[in-house]
Amino acid sequence: MASWLIASAIYIGKRLLAILLVLLGVATITFAVTRLLGNPVYLLVGQQVDKEIIDNMVHQMGLDRPLPEQYLRYLMAVARGDLGISRVTQRPVLVEIKLRLPATLELVTAAMLLILVGGISLGVFSAMRPGGAVDRLSQFITRLGVSIPDFWIGLILIYVFFFLLKWAPVPLGRLSPGIHSPSQVTGLLVVDSLLAGNWAALLSALGHLVLPAITLALVAVPSTIQITRNTLMQILSSDYIRTARAYGMPSRTIYFRYAVRNDIVPVVTMLAMTFGFLMSSTVLVETVFAWPGVGLYAVNSMYQLDYEPILGVVFLSALFYALAYLVADLITFAVDPRIRAQ
Amino acid sequence: MIDGAVPLPVEKSGAGRVRRAHLRQWLLSPPVLILSVLVLCAIFAPLLAPHDPTTPVPAEKLLPPSREHWFGTDPYGMDIFSRVLYAARIDLSVAITSVLLGILVGMPLGAFSGFVRGRFDEVMMRITEIMQAFPPILFAMAVIAAAGNNLVNLTLILAFLNVPVYLKMVRSVTLPLQESDFILAARCGGHSTLSLVGRHIIPNTLVPVFSQFSLSCAYAVQMVAGLSFIGLGVRVPQPEWGSMISLGASFIIFGKWWPAVFPGLAVFLTAYSLNALGHRLRRIVLRET
Repeated sequence: MASWLIASAIYIGKRLLAILLVLLGVATITFAVTRLLGNPVYLLVGQQVDKEIIDNMVHQMGLDRPLPEQYLRYLMAVARGDLGISRVTQRPVLVEIKLRLPATLELVTAAMLLILVGGISLGVFSAMRPGGAVDRLSQFITRLGVSIPDFWIGLILIYVFFFLLKWAPVPLGRLSPGIHSPSQVTGLLVVDSLLAGNWAALLSALGHLVLPAITLALVAVPSTIQITRNTLMQILSSDYIRTARAYGMPSRTIYFRYAVRNDIVPVVTMLAMTFGFLMSSTVLVETVFAWPGVGLYAVNSMYQLDYEPILGVVFLSALFYALAYLVADLITFAVDPRIRAQ
Repeated sequence: MIDGAVPLPVEKSGAGRVRRAHLRQWLLSPPVLILSVLVLCAIFAPLLAPHDPTTPVPAEKLLPPSREHWFGTDPYGMDIFSRVLYAARIDLSVAITSVLLGILVGMPLGAFSGFVRGRFDEVMMRITEIMQAFPPILFAMAVIAAAGNNLVNLTLILAFLNVPVYLKMVRSVTLPLQESDFILAARCGGHSTLSLVGRHIIPNTLVPVFSQFSLSCAYAVQMVAGLSFIGLGVRVPQPEWGSMISLGASFIIFGKWWPAVFPGLAVFLTAYSLNALGHRLRRIVLRET
C-alpha cells in the first residue's frame, strides 16, 4: 500500500518537474524575444521621442542592468504572477487577463461539449462499422476539417445563419445590446444567468455562443474523430475481444463492458490535451465574432502596440497547455495499471 | 485456359507499363491537378489577371460577381479575381519557403540527435518540447510585434514552428538505422560521425520527410492566411488571401459575401490538395517501407 503511494508521488513529482522545466523554457524564450529582438522601450514609446525620456524609461524598466540580472528579475516576477503592466490601461496584465478569461473558458467549454457529443460519437460509430456510411462521413468531415481555415468558416456561418436565415443574433460579443447581464458569479454568462434566473440573458448568451463554439469545435473535431476511431478499432481487433466474440458474447456486452472501458484512457487523455490546445487557439475565432476573451485581448493589444499583454497571454496559454498535459498524464497514471507497475 | 482468365502479356516492359500507368493515374489525380493549376496561376498571374490588383477604383466598390469581375470587387474597387491570383504568389511562396527552412534546420539536427544519442539528444528533445508548447498564433503575434511586421519575419517564425516537427521525425527514422549493417560497414571504412550522418543517414530520411512536406505546407498556408487575417506580415494594398478575407469580413453581415468567401476558397483548395497529396505520398511511403 505504502509503496503504491510512494510510486505515485514519485511519478507526479517527476511530471511536475518536467512541466516546470517546460514553463521555464517558455519564459526564457519569451524573455529572449522581448529583450533581444527589439528594444521594448521603442515599442512602448515610439521612435520619435527625446533621448532623455528614453533613457529614463530604460532605467525605470531596469533595461540598463546586465542581461542575466534582467533575466532573473523577469523569472521572479513571473513566478509571483506579475506579468507586467499594460501600457494602455496602466493596470496589471494579470488583472486584465483575469477579466477576460471567463469568456474564453466559456467558449472553449462549449466547443468541448460539441466535440464530445459530435466528434466522439462519430469516431465510435465509425470504428464499430469500418467502411460503413458513418465511417465514410467521418473521413469526409476529417478531410474537410483539416483544410478549412477556422476564421473563414466562421464568416461563412455568420453569412448563412445570421444574414440569410436570420436565426443567429448579431455576431458581436456575448450578449445582445439591451439585455441586462446577470451579476458576476463565475464570469460564465450561461452559468451566471441560470443562477440569477435571468432567462433573457440565458437565451441571449446561448444564442451568441452557438456559432463561435461550432467554429472553434471544427478546429479539433477532425483529430478527435480520428483518434477515437483508431483507438477503438485497435481495441476491437485485439485478442481478448476476439476471444470474447469467439465465445459468443453478445456484441453489446463486448462494447460496453470491455471495449469502452479500455478506450476511456486514450480518449480522456486526448480530450484533456484538446482542451489545453483550444485554450490557445481562440484568437481567430474571437476576432471574427468579437468575442471578448484573452485571444481578442492579445490581438487588440498588438494593434495598440501594448506589448506586455501579448507576452502574458502567450505565457498563460503555454501554462494551460502544460497543465493539460499534466492532467492527461495523471489520468493515464491513475487508470492504467501497466504504467503504475513501472 | 480457364474461362475469363486473361493470358499474361508476353511483352518485355510489362512491369514498366504498370508503373507508368500508376504514375499517370497519380499525376492526373485531383489534388495534383488542383495544385498544378494553383501554382500555374501564381506564376502566370500577370498574364492571367484581367485587372490591376493594387489600384483602387472607388467607383466600382463592392460590386457582386459579374462577367466583368468574376469574383466581384472589394471595398476599394479592386477586382477580387486578379487579387486572388496575385495573392497565390505570396501565400504559396511564404508557406513553401518556411517549411523548407524548417526542414533545412530540423533534418540535420534530428539526424544527428538520433544518431549520436546521449546528452545532445536529451537536450534536443527538451528543446523541441518547449518549442511545441508555444501556441503558434500567439507566439507569431508576439515575435512580429517585437521584430517588425514584414513577410520575412513571418516566414522565419513559421520556419521556427516547423523545426521541431522535422527534428522529431528525422530522429525517429534515424534511431532504428543505428545498428544496421551498412552503417557499421561505413564506420569500419573510417567515416567520421559527421560524414556518416551526412552521407548515409540523411538520404535515408528524405522519403518520409518528403511525404510530410506536403502536409506541412498545407498547415503553413492556413497559418499564413490566419496570421495575415489579423494583420501580421502583409501591408494593406498587397494582395494576400488572409488579409483579403479580413477586408471582406466586415461586409459579411451586410450580405456582401464575395470579398471574404473567394480568397478563403483559395486557401481551402490549396490546403485540401496539399493535404490530399501528402496523404497519398504517405501511403506510398508506408507501402514501400
